Amino acid sequence: MQPNDQYYTLLGTALSSGQGPDLFLLNGGAQARARMDALTDVTASADGLVGLAEFESPEGAVMALPITIQGFVVYYNKARYEEAGLDPDAPPQTWEELVSVCEAITAAGEVPCFSLGNKEGFAAEFFLSAIAASTLTDEQHSAFAAGDLAWSSPEISEILSLWVETNDMGWYPRGANSTAKFMDEYEQFMRGDAANTIGLLSDVAHWKQFEDFLGAEGLGVYRHPAPDMVSDHPMMPVAGGIGYGVNAASAKADLALELAQTLAAAGPIQTFVNDAGVVPANTMVDTSGLSSPAAGTILGWLDGSSAQMAHANVTAEELAEWHRQSQLLLNGETTVADAAARMDEVQAAAHGG
Amino acid sequence: MARTSHRERRLLRILSIPMFLLALTCVYPIFFSVNNALKTNRNYILDRFGVVSDFTFDNFVQAWTRSNLDSYFWNSVIVTVGAVALLLLVSSLAGFALAVLRFPMRKLVFIVILASLMIPVQVVLVPFYQTIIGLGLLNTRIGLILSYTAFFLPFSVYLMTAFYAGLPRELVEAARIDGARLLQVWWTIMLPLGKPALITLGILNTLYCWNDVLISLLVLQDERTLMVGIAALRGEYTTNVPLLSAGIVLAAAPIVILYVVFQRRIVNGIAVGAVKG
Repeated sequence: MQPNDQYYTLLGTALSSGQGPDLFLLNGGAQARARMDALTDVTASADGLVGLAEFESPEGAVMALPITIQGFVVYYNKARYEEAGLDPDAPPQTWEELVSVCEAITAAGEVPCFSLGNKEGFAAEFFLSAIAASTLTDEQHSAFAAGDLAWSSPEISEILSLWVETNDMGWYPRGANSTAKFMDEYEQFMRGDAANTIGLLSDVAHWKQFEDFLGAEGLGVYRHPAPDMVSDHPMMPVAGGIGYGVNAASAKADLALELAQTLAAAGPIQTFVNDAGVVPANTMVDTSGLSSPAAGTILGWLDGSSAQMAHANVTAEELAEWHRQSQLLLNGETTVADAAARMDEVQAAAHGG
Repeated sequence: MARTSHRERRLLRILSIPMFLLALTCVYPIFFSVNNALKTNRNYILDRFGVVSDFTFDNFVQAWTRSNLDSYFWNSVIVTVGAVALLLLVSSLAGFALAVLRFPMRKLVFIVILASLMIPVQVVLVPFYQTIIGLGLLNTRIGLILSYTAFFLPFSVYLMTAFYAGLPRELVEAARIDGARLLQVWWTIMLPLGKPALITLGILNTLYCWNDVLISLLVLQDERTLMVGIAALRGEYTTNVPLLSAGIVLAAAPIVILYVVFQRRIVNGIAVGAVKG
């Protein structure tokens, strides 16, 4: 057992001194990209798995076998909708409907429309990806990831403007910049002290955890709408969650790969899905037994309604600066134009400009 | 006289307010931990600061058994007792030599020991880790005992040297004239006289060793000490606070019990050590 906050430090030290484990778990995206050199190509074992992009090398080789899919949706408390005079079975599908919902909830005066924890900037990450999923095309996502679509472009600066406008409209509780997303924001939602929250699909802060508090029938889910959506419905941002990688320096790489295949296989993941509440990366896992209405709805969106996760595509430098700028924007200490200009500088530097 | 007494009482009453608040800052974390350790996670989330009404001991059972705190506890006991015993022995001998004996470069040795106090543990972590691997001490309790001894020895030697230097040299000279050998002088004179400083040192080093996470994390990777086990109860994104609180209460209990049992000796030891040190 390793303390989580030391995990990547210890793993990095061990790998660089040739003492690393034969097989190790790692998050997709930046954490996987940072360890590509220490991983073995496992492309041949990735059949039947989705969410591979987060574990791919620049050459397109799969370097770890994902076991879960991660993504963002909006969870809502049906009881709070009813109290505000809203139909709990008709969640918002357009930006205008979402604005009306939040107006009604705010007018009811009981709870804020959204719980929000941006102490570490995570809420801004989630917001960026949730909106961008519906407003950017695949090409624009790729251009944003490559640094060719600037933060000051109309498409991205619109998201920054919405971050400020939603705050100005009173959607969020006071003190969001000093509230931890994990788990203060979500505990607020679970207590019924907020009507909506942008939550995850797997691991924590997801349908299973929320249903434990609000009940399966009391929890609803919808994809975050946005203005000027590229499709006729909102999209759900998804990416690979966590996966197993084989140490390139392992003397028992074959055995380690065999274990990774076993752990990513449908049988073990089935147990994980049922007990922990995750969305599996293995398409062979039988999810028909899930009784959760929210989980059923989410699974239905995986085909055809999912989009890239914008925040996971950008560089670590941009992400860190977005954390900072998002807090300044919430506090009113900077303008959208200034924040976008600063983000452009960081983006250009990160891409060697 | 009566007027002075009245003023004193009023002053005491005024002083008691900040003292009460200060005491509250010490007592509240203990109350918070015990109170939350008795709640279920669900009850904690629904009412984080409320007093527990429907209490459960499941968190203690789960922390002790499922989270392996039972085996971590014994690891902590063994390495703490071993390291503190070794530290007291070596620092007492070194302090005796540096304070009483006259040998070449004695001051230089003392300065080098003092200088090592200025080096943060984090700075030497990589060479330290490589040394531990090279000596075959990785994942051994004796490795951790020796590591604690190495890291906490400079301060211990400094304290014992300062204490012994304050004792009259005539005691040593008289014993030597009576024919006592050096080790006899240390055993029969310096060790009993050094008891207050040794008690202080014992307390401080017990706390250092018991509460350490970083050194233990590096040396004892397969098995864990209690504090590392408790640190592992914190999740990356979510923490079962009642379970963590139960772990904290279990970890703090031995130290609190030790303090209650040896309260008088500890207070005396700290007072004497403070004056002499």
